[in-house]
Amino acid sequence: MKKSPISGKISETQKYMETKIGVGTSYDVGFREIVILKTKVQLYYLTGLVDSAIVQELLKELVNLNDHEKNRKKVPEIIENRLLHQQVDPIKSMDEAVDQMLSGLIVVFIDGEKFAFVVDVRSYPGRSPEEPDTERVIRGSRDGYTENVVENTALTRRRIRDARLRHEMLKVGERSKTDVCISYLQDVADDGLVQLIKDKIEQIEIDGISMAEKTLEEYIVKRNWNPYPLVRYTERPDVAASHLLEGHVLIIVDTSPSVIILPTTFFHHVQHAEEHRQVPTIGTFIRWTRFLAVFASLFLLPAWLLFVLDPSLLPKGLSFIGPNDEGNIPIVIQIILGVIGIEFLRMAAIHTPTALSTAMGLIAAVLIGQIAIDVGMLSPEVILYISISAIGSYVTPSYELSVANKVANLFLLIATSIWGLIGFVISVTIFLLFLASIKSLRTPYLWPLLPFNFKAMVNILFRVPVPLTKSRPSIVHPKNNYRQP
Amino acid sequence: MSGKRKELEQNKQEESMTLLGRSLLTGFIGGLFWSSLGVFLHLFNFTEISPSSFVLRSWVRAGWTDGWLGDVVSILIIGGLSVLVALIYYALLKKNRSILVGLLYGLVLWAIVYYVFQPMFPNIPNVTELDRNTIVTTICLFILYGIFIGYSISYDYHDTVIKENKAKQEEEEEAK
Repeated sequence: MKKSPISGKISETQKYMETKIGVGTSYDVGFREIVILKTKVQLYYLTGLVDSAIVQELLKELVNLNDHEKNRKKVPEIIENRLLHQQVDPIKSMDEAVDQMLSGLIVVFIDGEKFAFVVDVRSYPGRSPEEPDTERVIRGSRDGYTENVVENTALTRRRIRDARLRHEMLKVGERSKTDVCISYLQDVADDGLVQLIKDKIEQIEIDGISMAEKTLEEYIVKRNWNPYPLVRYTERPDVAASHLLEGHVLIIVDTSPSVIILPTTFFHHVQHAEEHRQVPTIGTFIRWTRFLAVFASLFLLPAWLLFVLDPSLLPKGLSFIGPNDEGNIPIVIQIILGVIGIEFLRMAAIHTPTALSTAMGLIAAVLIGQIAIDVGMLSPEVILYISISAIGSYVTPSYELSVANKVANLFLLIATSIWGLIGFVISVTIFLLFLASIKSLRTPYLWPLLPFNFKAMVNILFRVPVPLTKSRPSIVHPKNNYRQP
Repeated sequence: MSGKRKELEQNKQEESMTLLGRSLLTGFIGGLFWSSLGVFLHLFNFTEISPSSFVLRSWVRAGWTDGWLGDVVSILIIGGLSVLVALIYYALLKKNRSILVGLLYGLVLWAIVYYVFQPMFPNIPNVTELDRNTIVTTICLFILYGIFIGYSISYDYHDTVIKENKAKQEEEEEAK
């Protein structure tokens, strides 16, 4: 790209800004001309992205120059001196000026000079850190990432004041010019991985990434129809910081509070900050309960369907399982209807305004649940197992994983309903083989179960006390393996 | 709590374990895990054959082999046999990267157990006499078992090789 230099004449600059940026047409582009020591000075800024208090201070200081200074030969030096702000940079090209202005900095052109000053007076509209909805804990920090990448890096830095923590900024999107920040510990994270991620991000050619980290994820790891999440998201700075310390790499995208953690495996998605907030024993208990719930959300319905189709499979003690009365509709159809019904409710719950959610709960529980049984559509046992399976999927900490599990669950259900036991066994095997064969950024998805790694598996099955975890997980290939120097 | 401590101490030793040691451990745990699953599947009548019908009931006729004790003992025995299985994979096939090799290894093991060794187990009917459910279930179990052992050993091997190569490179760079 050819860089157009700043012309010495301010009238030309003004014309450039009018044609290229739409000064005067575009409502949010602000423009102010003042005269300092008989030299025209022009300021350009975006009204919504600058802090007006600081801009007023700057203007006051500049206009005051007329009363105190006399030396007309040194106007630029005087102006630079009097731009009272810690971040003032001279720039030489119009492109740079436009880029900076569009990200919320104020640009100061001086008549007769081939450079301009940019002052960082950014103040983006946004919220202050709040506890993320999806990752609540009972005790512990309640701040969460926001939509502002600068605040997000600051929240991370607050937790790791290490000189070796790197926040590298890249820009993605020809039009949106979104800031993407890669964070890692320089002496821990695998160089190859960092380089791989950087290359992949730099190769992205797209006009804009309004869906922020999600779009980026699709460019980095996912190019097919695999429903399983290949990266982990978090909105909690403490979770992000602990992963950084383990040697993972973070990607923070401006305009989104969800931070990507790389590399990730299946078992990262079934962990939650809460268990690290509790005593190890309790943490382990929570974890096992959750594994059971995730397991139930996957296999409970197909297994039950199998036992309904072929009650001779059940051992004597469990022969009570299975509906006493088959009902009017085949069990498979009942289950699928129920699963889809639950999906209706879940989707409705996302969009429903809080004021209506009580009404929705009533409709769901009383009307649909009870009456479906009374009418003879669904048998009570179907509702029981569907509910357990649904709760199991809500227990899954990663929303993406719970939805993917639902799809897998349907696949197993259909296979079981068509081919019975053989369908169940083969589909479970195919499902496991599929998971085992997924690789995201050279990381096997089912690690440490498949390929098996004893030490890491113990760390997954038990919430090990922190003083005893002396080494970093081998899956990130850390350069420095010891956590306690 | 104390149980957890102990396991962590095991971890510490494990760190100094060699690739071979880790592979054998994988074999042992793989044997325990998948034969436990086999017992479970037998309980739910997925297969007529439980692990204990192989390793115990073919030779021992005592009554306890039918109960839970028989299952536990046979799981342990299969764990031991799996060390051998892992050793064979380690010796012959560890350089293969693909997950398919593990799959084939599992299939071959199934064929060996059910065809070649079948005459050794008087308790086990001929393959042709087994019902379809049993055959499918056991084949799937062996495939997963083969992948568990094969893929783990191969991955660990390649991981270790990469690490060693890196260390060598760094040494060379330092020498320069």
